[in-house]
Amino acid sequence: MKLICLETSAKTASAAVVTEGKVLGEISVTAGLTHSQTILPAMEALLKSCSMKIADADGFAVSIGPGSFTGLRIGIGAVKGLAQGSGKGCVGVSTLEALACNFSGLSYTICPVMDARCGQVYTSLFWSSGGYPKRLWEDMAISLDQLKEKLSSVEGEVMLVGDGAELAFAALSGSTRVLLAPPALRLQSAASVGFAALHRLETEQMIAPGELMPSYLRLPQAERELLARTGKSQP
Amino acid sequence: MMKFVSHSEAETEAIGEKFARMLHPGDVVAFTGGLGAGKTAFTRGMARTLAPDAEVSSPTFALVNDYGGKVPFWHFDMYRIRTMDDLYSTGFFDYLEAGGILAVEWSENIAGALPEGTIFVRITVDGENERTIQIGSEPIAEKEGKKG
Repeated sequence: MKLICLETSAKTASAAVVTEGKVLGEISVTAGLTHSQTILPAMEALLKSCSMKIADADGFAVSIGPGSFTGLRIGIGAVKGLAQGSGKGCVGVSTLEALACNFSGLSYTICPVMDARCGQVYTSLFWSSGGYPKRLWEDMAISLDQLKEKLSSVEGEVMLVGDGAELAFAALSGSTRVLLAPPALRLQSAASVGFAALHRLETEQMIAPGELMPSYLRLPQAERELLARTGKSQP
Repeated sequence: MMKFVSHSEAETEAIGEKFARMLHPGDVVAFTGGLGAGKTAFTRGMARTLAPDAEVSSPTFALVNDYGGKVPFWHFDMYRIRTMDDLYSTGFFDYLEAGGILAVEWSENIAGALPEGTIFVRITVDGENERTIQIGSEPIAEKEGKKG
């Protein structure tokens, strides 16, 4: 099973080709460039380097959220088009689960954290002990303070991974035993999206491109806080 | 805080044009103040500097207008934004990361989500054509416009 995988949920644009237990190739760019301009040329360069055509893939994988509104739509839109055009199926995986897969095969309690702005994060918790990470929390959007409180009851050290890992590490390091993922394992990776997708395919079928949908998480911050600085109400 | 007095729409535009020359990529310009004060005229002036080919109009229904430009210039209207979900689905947070210049009308509605370093512009109506334009690093309260 050979999958072409895209990941554009945050600042990193990443494309990969994976098969069971193997990364055939990956390109990841975190240089502040526009994903809509980066991701398809990156994928094209990658396929060329792998001597592969789009038609050689058995299907397509993409992270479907949480994440940047624009970023998710770019990745999902691209995969929908690729799958539609080549008549193949696709797999959508949680961005946070894919981040936890950066530590697949290692033994850690893993907390993926994505910056959702305004002191809020998208987060979840996984536990891995040499195998595929096991999910402990559902994906959620909460404040950093709430994350601090929730992690205080978690035993042992917690590995922070994701584009919000540094932010969380700074906010939590005094109160909770947290580790910061090393740079090479920290950010979103299309290869990890691929392994999460392959894991899903052990028990489920691919879906048609029309069924692939983004999974935005509701941001809990109240209207009251959105208006915070002036305290003024709607005109 | 800087303060200007304008006596016409053309003068408001000219002030916007000069003001825009001081901006840098990533700057957020937040307007406060009521309808018909001249926010769009001021923005039209900014566009003369930032994106000379652009046709500026208030993005009341589009929510955001993209004027292009060497440094991308985006014009938001937050009049109808009430929740974080509303704001998220405008792509506002993505535009903040994109290295352009943002002009934001009705910024009161998203005050809690404006980044550090936001430049505030309040236009106050003093008469049929007279406007006081105040520019500062903090939100400018309504009454300050009249103190002068």
